[in-house]
Amino acid sequence: MSASVIAPLEVASSSRLRRTLLWMRHNPMLSAGVITVGALVLIAVFAPLLAPFPGDASVATHPFSVLQAPTWLHPFGTDEVGRDILSRVMYGARISPLIAVAVLLIATVVGVPLGLVAGYFGGVLDDVIMRVTDIFLAVPALLLALALSSVLTPTIGSTIAAISVTWWPWYARLVRGEAASIRGRRYIESCRALGIPRWRILWRHVLPNATTPVLVQMSLDFGTVILTASALSFLGLGVQDPSPDWGLMVSEGQAYFLTNWWLVTFPGLAILITALAFNILGDGLRDRLDPRHRMFQ
Amino acid sequence: MRLSIQHLTLRMNTRVIVDDLSLDVDDGEIVGLVGESGSGKSMTATSVLGLAPRLGFGVSGSITLDGRELVGASDRQLRDIRGRRIAMIFQSPSGAFNPVMRVGEVFERTLRLHGVASNEVAVRAARSCEEVLLPALVLRRYPHQLSGGQLQRVAIALALALDAEVLLADEPTSALDVTVQAEILTLLTTLRDRGMAILLISHDLGVVAQAADRVAVMRAGKLVEVGSTRQVLDHPRDPYTQTLLAAVPRMAARPGDAHA
Repeated sequence: MSASVIAPLEVASSSRLRRTLLWMRHNPMLSAGVITVGALVLIAVFAPLLAPFPGDASVATHPFSVLQAPTWLHPFGTDEVGRDILSRVMYGARISPLIAVAVLLIATVVGVPLGLVAGYFGGVLDDVIMRVTDIFLAVPALLLALALSSVLTPTIGSTIAAISVTWWPWYARLVRGEAASIRGRRYIESCRALGIPRWRILWRHVLPNATTPVLVQMSLDFGTVILTASALSFLGLGVQDPSPDWGLMVSEGQAYFLTNWWLVTFPGLAILITALAFNILGDGLRDRLDPRHRMFQ
Repeated sequence: MRLSIQHLTLRMNTRVIVDDLSLDVDDGEIVGLVGESGSGKSMTATSVLGLAPRLGFGVSGSITLDGRELVGASDRQLRDIRGRRIAMIFQSPSGAFNPVMRVGEVFERTLRLHGVASNEVAVRAARSCEEVLLPALVLRRYPHQLSGGQLQRVAIALALALDAEVLLADEPTSALDVTVQAEILTLLTTLRDRGMAILLISHDLGVVAQAADRVAVMRAGKLVEVGSTRQVLDHPRDPYTQTLLAAVPRMAARPGDAHA
């Protein structure tokens, strides 16, 4: 886009920090989300430096510190084999969010284009694409993921693959509905009257108007994917025990919930906070992308 | 003859929507096409650009632009003509713009698409805004930040920037209030005086009377009367035109009103 036509109004040059603070004040939701997600990424990257007991993230047993309540030494307590839960939660930031982000990205990359094409072009193409997604939707998601992950060896990659296969049809269907409704809007007709090729209309005009529900769905799905991954782990088909997956920690800690609450609570809080942060990020992004929701330009 | 429609017949499945319609629009004239809702006015305009639905739709007859046949032309050929040579503006200007795109970006993309050099885009956009009496600032706005009248001007400016020779105006004023309506009609007559061929579609005889040089009256897909505006409106020959004229609401002076 050329600067000459729609160049933004000149902003009086001020220090970078002040501009950032101003932007944050105008986008409180988005900045809260960005900060939390940023912190999460930092924890994931620097887990070996930040975690008090890095060794506890994998196979380790400490028979004399089993199931200890939170103390200064172990702020989140210890688990049934005596591993430091804080360290495990920190290392978990490398697994659970990664699974969720990967699954949602695959689901959108596959589902959104299929839905767009089905909804916009309609006809036979629509029928074929939607029947295929119906087949996927007809099989219960967890069952399909189970079947797949029992064939694959239980690793992060296979967990991601198994969940993605069950996840994309929802996105295809969501976008298909949006595209079908956008197709009938006046501005699409006027695009055609301006001689814009169909693929470009689809990409430049239909897609940007269909992103809002996708973003909302993605941010809502974030926590669900983590829990689905943990369900797979729980059944012995997902990520396996020594690795500190949050979902896995929650499902394994359930047995101790009544007597040792910290086993479930801290990984659960990590899931909650992460899901919430991505939710807020999704909301903020939606507000940024849709000019009708935007307060400041 | 710039735009010539000859024996145009449109069918939707078995139903005839437009029946043997012939109408010419020449440079420097506004031809008004009037008729009630569903009489086939808009379908006629849409089929000029080849935008009528494809499934179950039949077009026969001929539509020519400078003698070049448009009926049955390929999508690629039609795309070069759409916007660039034949522009179209719509009833609801607020719905005719992509809500997530700044107005200037629509200009930018459309002009580039039709082969305008990138360094000339901004100049042309600004100049055509000036021609429709809008500040170039509107290019930075999103559609929801502009009024209906402003957006209709922007749509016309886009046609100007592309140097379109024919303008299909499908109820361009029906969604606007009366004062803005008059402004848009004045703008259309200015364009006519500059040599543009304009097909003005309206259900409002007042609008057509104000702007059109010639009037064509449609009813149930058929053309019932064509002639100069004065002749058709003052001495309608067809009984349907007479009914249409009689149905125009007038501001009647109520008894007791003071006539100062």
